[in-house]
Amino acid sequence: MAAHLFRRAGFAANIDQLDQAVEQEPADVVKRLVIGPSESKEAERESAEFAQAILASGDPKQLSAWWVYTLFRTEYPLQEKMTLFWHGHFATSAEKVQDANAMYSQNQMLRRFALGDFSAMAHEISRDPAMLIYLDSVTNRKAHPNENFARELMELFCLGEGHYSERDVQELARCFTGWEIRHGRFRFNRYQHDSGDKSIFGKTDRFPDGSAIDLVLQRPAAPRFIAGKLVRYLVFDEPVASRALIDPLAQQLREQAWDIGAVVDRILASNLFFSDHAVGRKVRSPVDLTIGLLRSLGGSTNAQRLAGELVFLGQGLFYPPNVKGWDGGRAWINASMLLGRANVVGRLLRDKTTRYGRGDLESYFRNMGIRSAADVVHALCELMLAVPLPKDARERLTALAEHGGGNPSQRIAKTIHALATLPEFQLG
Amino acid sequence: MSTRREFLATLGSSAIVSIGAVTPPAFLLKAAAAEAKEEPETVLVIIQLSGGNDGLNTVVPYSDDTYRRDRPALAIGADRVLKIDDECGFHPSLRGMADLFESGKLAIVHGVGYPNPNRSHFESMDIWHTCQRKGSPRSTGWLGRYLDASQTGSGGDAPALHLGGDKQPLALAAEQVRSPTIGSLDRFRLHDGGDTQLRETIEELVGQSREGGGDLLRFIQTSSKAALKAGRRIEAARRGYQTPIDYPQNRLAENLHTVAQLIDAGLGTRVYYLELAGFDTHSQQAGAHAALLNELGGGVSAFLQD
Repeated sequence: MAAHLFRRAGFAANIDQLDQAVEQEPADVVKRLVIGPSESKEAERESAEFAQAILASGDPKQLSAWWVYTLFRTEYPLQEKMTLFWHGHFATSAEKVQDANAMYSQNQMLRRFALGDFSAMAHEISRDPAMLIYLDSVTNRKAHPNENFARELMELFCLGEGHYSERDVQELARCFTGWEIRHGRFRFNRYQHDSGDKSIFGKTDRFPDGSAIDLVLQRPAAPRFIAGKLVRYLVFDEPVASRALIDPLAQQLREQAWDIGAVVDRILASNLFFSDHAVGRKVRSPVDLTIGLLRSLGGSTNAQRLAGELVFLGQGLFYPPNVKGWDGGRAWINASMLLGRANVVGRLLRDKTTRYGRGDLESYFRNMGIRSAADVVHALCELMLAVPLPKDARERLTALAEHGGGNPSQRIAKTIHALATLPEFQLG
Repeated sequence: MSTRREFLATLGSSAIVSIGAVTPPAFLLKAAAAEAKEEPETVLVIIQLSGGNDGLNTVVPYSDDTYRRDRPALAIGADRVLKIDDECGFHPSLRGMADLFESGKLAIVHGVGYPNPNRSHFESMDIWHTCQRKGSPRSTGWLGRYLDASQTGSGGDAPALHLGGDKQPLALAAEQVRSPTIGSLDRFRLHDGGDTQLRETIEELVGQSREGGGDLLRFIQTSSKAALKAGRRIEAARRGYQTPIDYPQNRLAENLHTVAQLIDAGLGTRVYYLELAGFDTHSQQAGAHAALLNELGGGVSAFLQD
């Protein structure tokens, strides 16, 4: 159960973390995950330093490596997990934006609000230079309002399809005329702004200063949309969550001023979350798979290389495939992706720069008091699997760990490689 | 796999009708109804010319006055085209295509489009991929709908494959059928570092069916098993595959080469989707276009010969 919580509320936990967690009340563990560390900002500081070096190079591709590095080291995994969620929700790709600083700023903004006020985040994203570039909204003229942003705001960011009319899109677009970017920053150009009355969702007003966003967020569909996405991200991929499940969460969002952290806390502490409906009911994303594998073994590897592997597996950080972000769920599973995942794990394990608690695999387990092949396999299953293995599978893996050829670390690596190809390993 | 005519009929009913509710042209319906011999081995290979190919300079109406008048700088004259007839000819870089045409292996369909074309790249591409104008939901593409409707058995292999970058073309988006995107054949096999014991362990463990595990686990297990099987087939085919044909050295030709290998491997896939990008030319158009068409002609020609 603790492993399940850490997998979902972050990117898995290592043996020490799990041992500590089982001594505590689940609700307390959840609280700590949601609130994050009170001190020890060392990981944060190192991450910021690394970021500055990368931004100096101006290469957006390097940002992916920066984020991977941050994921290894973070002491606030839930914040990173939610930042990743919002990165997919407010999908913006460096492929088009091409500006490392803009992408980084957006990412930091998402991080700031990841467990915070969604309404504030929606306002921020509407003025975010990277987003405006991505949606071709760099200039938004009075005579030709840009409908793209208005449509995405409703369809993708706040309401979902089917909860607005074409007319609403057109009128909403007029609210954002004059919203531009100059010198990489948001600028309001009042000469291009259409300040007349607009009629949206049956309400007529001039809607200055982004107040139209508040109107959109007041729609009943809005909190349901966000709550639904949160449940899918944190609890189960399928089936689609029922209204009975979503409505109380939506109501909480409405009543608590869009406090995402509070709703996430409620979800993670719920009985549903720890039930059969949730455990093992999500397909692990490439990030979950690779970062999770490493973190559960106290490990790290070459961030640049791993960032490249994530692209290979379809989850390039800062490079979502389109405005809808990543579908997730079964979309991660297709013929070449499955083999790709296994191959990436194989490469990670063979990579000389991969470290496990500053050493190799054999010493890592030995330091935990785990020596025999059977014990290693047992530990691996506890750490990494959300569902049990068939009995003879365990025996086969133990045989591999015992007689697999090569030195002890290599044998353990092969066993993990084999484990990573199994269907059970794809679930998280 | 259904016949070519059945395929067109499905298109007729699902895709073309969706554009402003126009009934399918009579010739398509007739073609569907007409019985012809079964063609069980047909494979459809689609090459998307991304960015917007200049069709008028590809199959050139060289004798048309309007064409010459409206394109003072870019018009290709009678002296340079590879003539098809009195009215049109190929762009001079399409030697490969012209040869295919001469040997009766190439057909050209003129004037495919939709009323009131949209000028935005993304919007227009979305319309082409989904055959839906704005206002209609665009969750599935024309190929995706065909794949869902036909649900052909492809022996566990993906019914359609996209070779290229990581973004799946909207045309392939479907309600049920998943079409993978692969960058190269190398991704299709398990890298076991030559360790047979490891490979055998993996294949055995993946091969076991997971009865009690639930929907998702079963789905993953069957997909994993199919993936390993496909990987083995492709590996064997690569070893056996020989071609005397010299493919040009560029991305498209490499991809076409890959398709040839997969077909040779007996993969059950019936639709392959490839892209040639770079047609979004606004400046230096003549040179860029010529180079791209050269790539296109050379690649297709080599592929068909193979």
